[in-house]
Amino acid sequence: MRYAVAVAGFIVFTSFAAASLQAHHSPSAIFDMTKHVAITGTLTRVDWVNPHIVLMMEAKGEGGKVDQWKFESNPPSWYKSVGLARADFAKAIGQTITVSAVKARDGSLYGYMDKIKLPDGTSYELLNGSEAK
Amino acid sequence: MKKTLLAVLASAVVAQGLVLAQQARHPDFTGVWSYAIDRAPAALKKEVNGQVVIQKIDQSARHGDASTVKGVQPSTPRPTYKPEYLAKVKDLADHESRTDPVFYCGKPGVPRIGPPRKIVQLPKETIFLYEDISGDPYRVIPTDGRPHRQYPNPSAYGDSIGKWDGEVFVVDVTGFGDDTWFGEDGYFHTDAMHVVERIWKDGDNLVWQATVEEPKVLAKPWVMPARLLKPSSDSLEESPRCVESDGGRLLNDDHHLQR
Repeated sequence: MRYAVAVAGFIVFTSFAAASLQAHHSPSAIFDMTKHVAITGTLTRVDWVNPHIVLMMEAKGEGGKVDQWKFESNPPSWYKSVGLARADFAKAIGQTITVSAVKARDGSLYGYMDKIKLPDGTSYELLNGSEAK
Repeated sequence: MKKTLLAVLASAVVAQGLVLAQQARHPDFTGVWSYAIDRAPAALKKEVNGQVVIQKIDQSARHGDASTVKGVQPSTPRPTYKPEYLAKVKDLADHESRTDPVFYCGKPGVPRIGPPRKIVQLPKETIFLYEDISGDPYRVIPTDGRPHRQYPNPSAYGDSIGKWDGEVFVVDVTGFGDDTWFGEDGYFHTDAMHVVERIWKDGDNLVWQATVEEPKVLAKPWVMPARLLKPSSDSLEESPRCVESDGGRLLNDDHHLQR
């Protein structure tokens, strides 16, 4: 299910990023679609940039070290179309959030976010076509 | 003195009248127009204290095949390259997640950028405004009968001049560089590319169709599939800057296409 969600996210990128027709890499070119992670940590930064928004997070890693996670998600225009703006995420900077994502295949602390839970209990999750009906 | 003033006023009124009459002869395309491309069905699920709200994508602007719309010219889904360039196109397409300039925040250029998001129609020029991840380009298209600039600097959006063919606004574009693609799948071109865009009304909607002439690499001109646009109440916004960060992480050439 989550696999489909993440795939939907990439398809959405190509459709909304621009008026121009675009090709894009397949999610499998970067992310291991079978490797889903849920990371809880402190949101440190929200970049509202094309072609994907980017969230940075600090989370406790192995041995007590602090891991610097980077998550990308759908493009700003997609979030605009569902009524979300940077401020909806940025208000949680400095606070604890939980992000669900598929993890990069290169082993880095990088993922494609398909769900986020904010400190006030609100969660946002990307749905694919069949889930959205 | 009084006579002179009256004469000036009279000529100003006549001139204004001519402008208004000229404007009245043509349909008015001024306004914001919705995207014509398909939007992938998807939604956002918001959950607060157990209450779930599904925010669906607005699909109202989505249109299917526009080929049956009045005035649309027969088109083909793909251009026809000369045989000696087929291997190059295939190679670019096979590796397009690495070779497509647009993927790396490059300008799509004309005609790949498609129809404008907003049109401002003035007596002597028409302005096309776009929203694009590479920036928010604009085109000022003279309609006063002037020819193309003699030595335009090569560019992604070219040198445009506009004229009316009945109720169809025809934009002739030359002066391209050779570093854009005119479509996904590796549709490269040279600086010899010549594009003709045609825009007309179909009821309340707008129709956009472009033809690519590229005598150096295409075996014949490519009439692109038409796109149908709905009037929109959206306001245009500055597009967030483009920061591509996936290119260096690609582990294979897998990619998908979007039509």
